[in-house]
Amino acid sequence: MNEQLQQFLTGRIWLREHTPFPREVIDAHIDSGHIHLKPGIDTRLSNFYFWQLKKSVCNRCHNTNPNLFHTFHCARCNQKCIYCRHCIRMGRVSSCSELLLWNKEHARGANGHVFEWNGQLTPLQQKASEELLASVQQNKSHLLHAVCGAGKTELLFPSIFASLQEGKRVCVAAPRTDVILELFPRFQKVFPKTTIHALYGGAPDQEGFAELVLATTHQLYRFKNAFDVAFVDEADAFPYYADETLRLAVTKAAKKDAAIHYVTATPTKSLKTINQSILSRRYHGHDLPVPRFDSLWGYTRQLNRGKVPTKLQQWIEDKSKNNIPFLVFLPTIEMLENFPGNLPRVHAEHPDRKETVMQLREKKIPGLLTTTILERGITIENVHVAVVGAEQKIFTSSALIQISGRVGRSFQYPKGDIVFFHHGITHEMDEAKEAIEGWNKK
Amino acid sequence: MICLLCGSPFQSNPTWRKLILYEIEASACKRCLSKFEKADTKFDLADFKGTRYEGAIDSVTSLYSYNEVMQSYLHQYKFLQDVALAQVFAEELRHLFEKKEGIVVPIPMYPEKLLLRTFAQVDELLNSAAVPFQHLLAKTAASEQGKKSKKERLEASPLFEVTGKITAQTFILFDDIYTTGTTMHHAAKVLKNFGATRIEAITLIKG
Repeated sequence: MNEQLQQFLTGRIWLREHTPFPREVIDAHIDSGHIHLKPGIDTRLSNFYFWQLKKSVCNRCHNTNPNLFHTFHCARCNQKCIYCRHCIRMGRVSSCSELLLWNKEHARGANGHVFEWNGQLTPLQQKASEELLASVQQNKSHLLHAVCGAGKTELLFPSIFASLQEGKRVCVAAPRTDVILELFPRFQKVFPKTTIHALYGGAPDQEGFAELVLATTHQLYRFKNAFDVAFVDEADAFPYYADETLRLAVTKAAKKDAAIHYVTATPTKSLKTINQSILSRRYHGHDLPVPRFDSLWGYTRQLNRGKVPTKLQQWIEDKSKNNIPFLVFLPTIEMLENFPGNLPRVHAEHPDRKETVMQLREKKIPGLLTTTILERGITIENVHVAVVGAEQKIFTSSALIQISGRVGRSFQYPKGDIVFFHHGITHEMDEAKEAIEGWNKK
Repeated sequence: MICLLCGSPFQSNPTWRKLILYEIEASACKRCLSKFEKADTKFDLADFKGTRYEGAIDSVTSLYSYNEVMQSYLHQYKFLQDVALAQVFAEELRHLFEKKEGIVVPIPMYPEKLLLRTFAQVDELLNSAAVPFQHLLAKTAASEQGKKSKKERLEASPLFEVTGKITAQTFILFDDIYTTGTTMHHAAKVLKNFGATRIEAITLIKG
């Protein structure tokens, strides 16, 4: 048996063409029963009165949406072949492709974990951290409901260390690449003797068997029965809550009896766990900034005419004059692109998003126009925020809470202006405001 | 409809053309399509003056120029093997070929490459546009075009051989991308040697 192959494939479900091992090695392990083969796509026929319905399932990402399958004549298998468009960026999975699963004893990691962290937890953080640790040790799912800027990552450290010491394989998943990139160096510092892999789209190849895996939820499509403990960070973030296959991916990647723990500021109602703890204070102990509502009637029409509404213009000028960095959130990319003036702007397809945000941090630019892409994960000292068109559908209460959570995150500037410019107040806006006020009262 | 490129739902407007005449349903939304850049129509064939390929091609038409969006389209289509994307330009290709007369001949692939890619990207573009075509050419020996300089490409021994019957009439060569034009000129020359009277070249992209 090839040890490297065992380490690589343990807990994974992997496309044969993408393995870094020679064909003969894999063939030998298939013959000896170490590797189990699975077809890429399962297609089932069912009858609906007179029609025959074809239902396909991608065995890697569990996609069943018929819009995301395409049938073509395949030159490799020389017949009609179906492939999944949903997870195509990880290498195409089609009816005639083979998925490899490790079928024998799992690889094990070295057991010499070291925990190097001397930060201080506030009493509230300490309590939540202990509650989480108790749940992890009893293998009961736990929801850590913590406000934006509460210092959530630190709370996970004791639980992760305890699990690693028991020889367990741990996964920390988050929906966005930015978050994984930020977590990786922090975890490397805290667990210097642990093999940690950071997996995201475009990540470099990493060798050995990782006892601790940091991954975007997308990357978990490529795991099966791998983890004894899983933490999902930012469990409310897009696209995690919107894409059922991502939620399935997390359960699939964890072992059958493994508990999955969630960390979030805005839990959705569907998130059900056995235990819960709430952390309603920021680490610096100040109140969360409460959003104020301000009407901006007919802003779409004015913007279409190439004019920035007066109130908004004043707000922007006021911040620039006082040298306060600001973010203006806009509901659509079109509105962002057509916004009059020459303020810098970023959206999801923007190539140098990170650089532009850096410029704002360094105060090289006065402010930034953005879409919801910057709603979470970024910290800019003393930033003030305006949401334009807060009544629009894209601004759900959890998005609005996250956006408000950008303000007042640092010790020096725990306050700041957060304003929702609207064309009519929605329930979502009220909900967001009530939630924030509720936390402040606790 | 769901846009093949960005995945968001969109509505294509009903047109009289669609109602009365035949039109292939759009498979990508307006916003995505607007990012592709139309190619300018002028083609410079001066590079081939004085070589034995002069006059092999009578006209060249390309639909789009090679910009960033096109680059990522080609990447997803050819390298990520997203065959469905062949539909994106179906209506436009159909429209272009409608006006042309002659036998359409796609530029072929090496059989080994076809097995690896699982589909012929040039053929699929024509299939989705419902343009009938004939395979009359085959690649000779395996040699990668991309790694050669232009001079090497031109002087290389014939890239194609004829596999079918060539009659004295117009042939339309079709390829996905026209970069230096060597591939097209090689193919055109072979067809003319075997008796073709006129060669028109069409590509989706002008590189």
